[in-house]
Amino acid sequence: MRILDLAYILALGAGLGLGSAHWAVAGRPVLGKVEVGPWAAWPRSGSREIDPYMRAYLSRGVHLPLGSGEGLELIAERDSEGQALDGRCRYQLSGVTPTTRGWTIGITDGDGLPFRLTLERTSFTDSQIVRPEDGQISIIASSTPEPGNWLPLPASGRFQIRLRLYDTPISSQTGETRATNLPRITRTDCR
Amino acid sequence: MTAIDQELDRPAAERPQDVPARSAPAAPRRGWRQRLRSGLTRFLMTTLAGLLLAGIVHIVTVLAIPTLSQRDAAHAYRELGAEGRAELMPVSGSARGLPSVRENDTNTVTAICSYDLSAGPMRIVARIGNLPLGLTVHRQGGGVIYAITDRAAIRGVLDFLVMTEEQRDERIAADEEGETNRELRVVSDTENGLVVARVLVRLPSDRGDAEALATGVECGMAN
Repeated sequence: MRILDLAYILALGAGLGLGSAHWAVAGRPVLGKVEVGPWAAWPRSGSREIDPYMRAYLSRGVHLPLGSGEGLELIAERDSEGQALDGRCRYQLSGVTPTTRGWTIGITDGDGLPFRLTLERTSFTDSQIVRPEDGQISIIASSTPEPGNWLPLPASGRFQIRLRLYDTPISSQTGETRATNLPRITRTDCR
Repeated sequence: MTAIDQELDRPAAERPQDVPARSAPAAPRRGWRQRLRSGLTRFLMTTLAGLLLAGIVHIVTVLAIPTLSQRDAAHAYRELGAEGRAELMPVSGSARGLPSVRENDTNTVTAICSYDLSAGPMRIVARIGNLPLGLTVHRQGGGVIYAITDRAAIRGVLDFLVMTEEQRDERIAADEEGETNRELRVVSDTENGLVVARVLVRLPSDRGDAEALATGVECGMAN
């Protein structure tokens, strides 16, 4: 009976321990995540104060995160209303970006890879967009062509919007940034 | 067979007259309950021990992954920069068979220089240009230990040394007493790692300049 107890303890400990560790570092960990509106960032991933979960996540693949003094990457999987981003819908990205020396905004899949679409336009830099008179950004993301700053989306399925800010002061104080200082993601309509 | 069971096996006539007849079924019920209770306690205790072990295994695994992993960027790009100059990060499907970096920004050009501090400190020298340049030092096993941008350049040059803590102590001991040493010393807690030069490509026409800027980063042994 004691052997059965021991076997049960070992099986539970090893199974649950290894399984939960794998689950915790298979994707970007919840620990250290900072959310500002629809955007999520892991500002400590590029500093010496990195937490063990993020360190394990980064070391499981070929990752070169932005250093905290170099820039900040923000990832959106939901729009500003909290609904998951879907390729069947049309989105407008509008508003301002924080003070930064340069930024890029792009569409990727869940692994951070750009989609292979017929038109090779997966992102914009701050020098590539046409701005209205007020200087704010206005980008439309949809699977069908749009006039102006258009980012093509896959015909269906989930996607991410990644905003990378280079040489920005908010990389050290991401948690204190207001959602109004980052672009809004508004769902216009869906097919 | 327990004493209670032996008592139950006896015919009713042999039972002591002072024991009420209806108390007989209560005894086995009590034994069944006791066995259930002790089994449940045992199950709970072993489950608790299993959960405790799972917690320890979880923590040890998460802490051990960076040390044991052979798939991180420092291992993948160990050969880059051996010639004393940063080399462009391989793109997917390149002839060298090196993996491409995950979650990469396609609007940047990245050049890499791996370092091995076992032979001594490494000096990094980067000349700045018109495009935003960032230099980061990535330790083996995940984590950025230092980041600097071209805005910190002095007379158009970024210059720093990467070394271990022991090498830093040796250099401090060797410094002339009373003199201020102006060299920038970055301490790496691992002997191996990567120095990454990243240049933002604002317009597609800037790509050539960005590649020249990124691959112009020198990484050689420090004197």
